[in-house]
Amino acid sequence: MIIFWPRRVTFGAETWDGVVAVSIDRVGVRAVVEWSDYGPHPIFADSPELRTTITVSMEIMRGVVASPRPGQVAMLTVDISPNTSQSQVRRVTAQAVVVRVTHDLTVKKGAVRTIELLAVSSDGAADPITETLIHGMEPK
Amino acid sequence: MASSFKSLNLFGSGPHRFSLGKQGELYLPAYVVGGSGSGTSLIGPLELDVIIVGRLVASGESALWTLRDAVKAQLAHPPTPGTLIDLYGHTWTNMSFLTFQEMDRVDRGRVWSVAYKAIFRKIA
Repeated sequence: MIIFWPRRVTFGAETWDGVVAVSIDRVGVRAVVEWSDYGPHPIFADSPELRTTITVSMEIMRGVVASPRPGQVAMLTVDISPNTSQSQVRRVTAQAVVVRVTHDLTVKKGAVRTIELLAVSSDGAADPITETLIHGMEPK
Repeated sequence: MASSFKSLNLFGSGPHRFSLGKQGELYLPAYVVGGSGSGTSLIGPLELDVIIVGRLVASGESALWTLRDAVKAQLAHPPTPGTLIDLYGHTWTNMSFLTFQEMDRVDRGRVWSVAYKAIFRKIA
């Protein structure tokens, strides 16, 4: 999943401004593959261990000292709407741990902060990413 | 075709492969069995081992335990020999089911599965 220009992004009590993109990647950490005695091709495969990574890219307009720290955990919310109206606003949420914060500085593009987070499940079985339709959304 | 032991399809829930253990003569250095020097003492023919390596696959936790319990029920003491048949219909008679060992962890992904190694022996 990739989201461009989300309406609003929060991490715990903080609102992250200037977010240009949020991507959610799901990667199988370990694959189980089995073959049979009948031939060369696998007859069973599964991906029993997954890692869901959220990458937030944000423009930094002025020098800032505050920054999320690796290990910090909070609820990440990303609000998305297909247009500027308040209807059909969807909210993507995940309990997430910051694992990496980096900055890219160029003269043309300015400063871009990239925050990489690992989404954690409540019990190991539940999907760490939830998506809901939000009603009565306050203006951005 | 499905494999079986005593006509039971114990391993058919998932992929499994057959192999044979070491065959030939059991031998020891002569000095171990009371000889002298560097010679070899022949003890006798090795018993045939048939090894099955595979994965039990189930839809969930309880279903996986059902498969495990079915296998465990065939691990008797002393073992009672039966006929083992592989996926191609090759048959070994008078085989004793000696051990069933789960390898590593249960994998809980799309399905619940656990890898295993089962050893059968034709006890002389």
